[in-house]
Amino acid sequence: MNVEESIEVTGDDVEQALAKGLETLGVGPDDVMVEVLEEPASGMFGLGSRPARVRLRLLTAAPPPEMEDASGAAVATGESAPALQDSGSTGDGNVVDKAPGELSFQAAMETTTFEEGDFEEDAEVGKVVLAKLLENMAVRADVEVRRAEATDEEEPPWMLDIVGESDLSVLIGRKGETLASLQYITRLVTSRELQRRANIVVDVGGYKSRRMSRLYALASRMADQATSLGRPVALEPMPPYERRIVHLALREREDVTTESSGEGQARKVNIIPASR
Amino acid sequence: MSGGRNWRQRQQQSRPPTNLEDLVGYIAKSLVNDPSQVRVRQRNTNSATVIELRVAPEDMGRVIGREGRVANAIRALLRVADRHQQGERQRKHIILEIS
Repeated sequence: MNVEESIEVTGDDVEQALAKGLETLGVGPDDVMVEVLEEPASGMFGLGSRPARVRLRLLTAAPPPEMEDASGAAVATGESAPALQDSGSTGDGNVVDKAPGELSFQAAMETTTFEEGDFEEDAEVGKVVLAKLLENMAVRADVEVRRAEATDEEEPPWMLDIVGESDLSVLIGRKGETLASLQYITRLVTSRELQRRANIVVDVGGYKSRRMSRLYALASRMADQATSLGRPVALEPMPPYERRIVHLALREREDVTTESSGEGQARKVNIIPASR
Repeated sequence: MSGGRNWRQRQQQSRPPTNLEDLVGYIAKSLVNDPSQVRVRQRNTNSATVIELRVAPEDMGRVIGREGRVANAIRALLRVADRHQQGERQRKHIILEIS
C-alpha cells in the first residue's frame, strides 16, 4: 500500500469528525483507517474548548502487512461468513453487509451462520428476549443469530445481530453506550431465564465486528509508533470490552506490553515498548 | 419459540405506539422474584416524562443493580423507546423513579 490517501478532519467529537470525513471521502466506515489525532477538550463552559481531530486513511484492497503479526492467533484468515439474509429482511441499508474481500480484516470476528433450530438454548432464549425488548422499544428490526469463532480458550459466544432497514444507529449510541446497555439487559434477563450465565453478545448491523477490525488496526499501528518513538503511547479512553480487544490484539507482540490506566470513563490502554 | 419473523410481521402490520410502561414492566418482571408486585406508571409533567416503577422491597436491588447499573441501562433503553415514540423535536426529559 504505497499510495495512500488520507485527510484530516475536525468535529465536536470524534464520532462527528469521523462522520464528516467519511462524507468528504464519500466512503463507508469500513473503507478507512481511523486515527484519533486529538481528543476533544470540552473546556469550562465552552471556554478553551478544542475540537476533535482525526485522520482518515483510505484503505485499498489489502490491509497493511503489519496487521498480520499483531493479530496473531486471534485473527483467522479467510472471509467472514456472509450474514444470513432473510429474503427481504435487509435491504442495502448502510449498516449491513459488504461484498466479501472488501474488508478481509473482518475475519477478526469470523462467524458461522446457523439455521434456525440449530440454536443452542442461550441463543434461542436470548433472541426471544432481545426481540421482545426491541418490540417494546418500537424498533423495527430482525435478530440474526451467528456463532463467533473461538478467539481464545473460552467458549465462543452467540452473536445476536440486530438488522433492519431503518437506521439503527440509535441502538448503538455514543461510543456504543446504548448498545452496551441493551446487551447488559438482554444478558441479565436471559441469564435469569436460563439460571446460568448466558453466553451471548448483542450487536447492531455488525458494528462490533467492524469496530473490532478497526481496533486491531489501531492497536497495531500505535504499537509500531510506540516502538519507533521508544516511549509509551496512550490510546483514547475506551469501554472495557474495547480495551480487552486491544490487549488481545497485542498479546502476541514481544516488542510491546499493554496496560490500562485511569478510572471509569477515562480508563485507557497504554502501549509500552519493551525495554531491552 | 416465537421466531423473529412473526414478531416482525406484527410490527409491520400495525406499529403499536411505544409504551414506555410496557418496556419497564417487561424488564422488571423478568428480573424480580415477585413479578406480581411490579407496578409501573407513567406520569407526564411539563418538562419530563416520569416512569414510576414499584417492586417488592426485597427486589429493589435486582432492578437497581450494583452502583445503579441495571437502572441506568433501563434508562438508556427508555431514551431510545421515547425517541421512537415522540420524534426528535418534542422529546422530553425522561425520568425513571424506582421505589
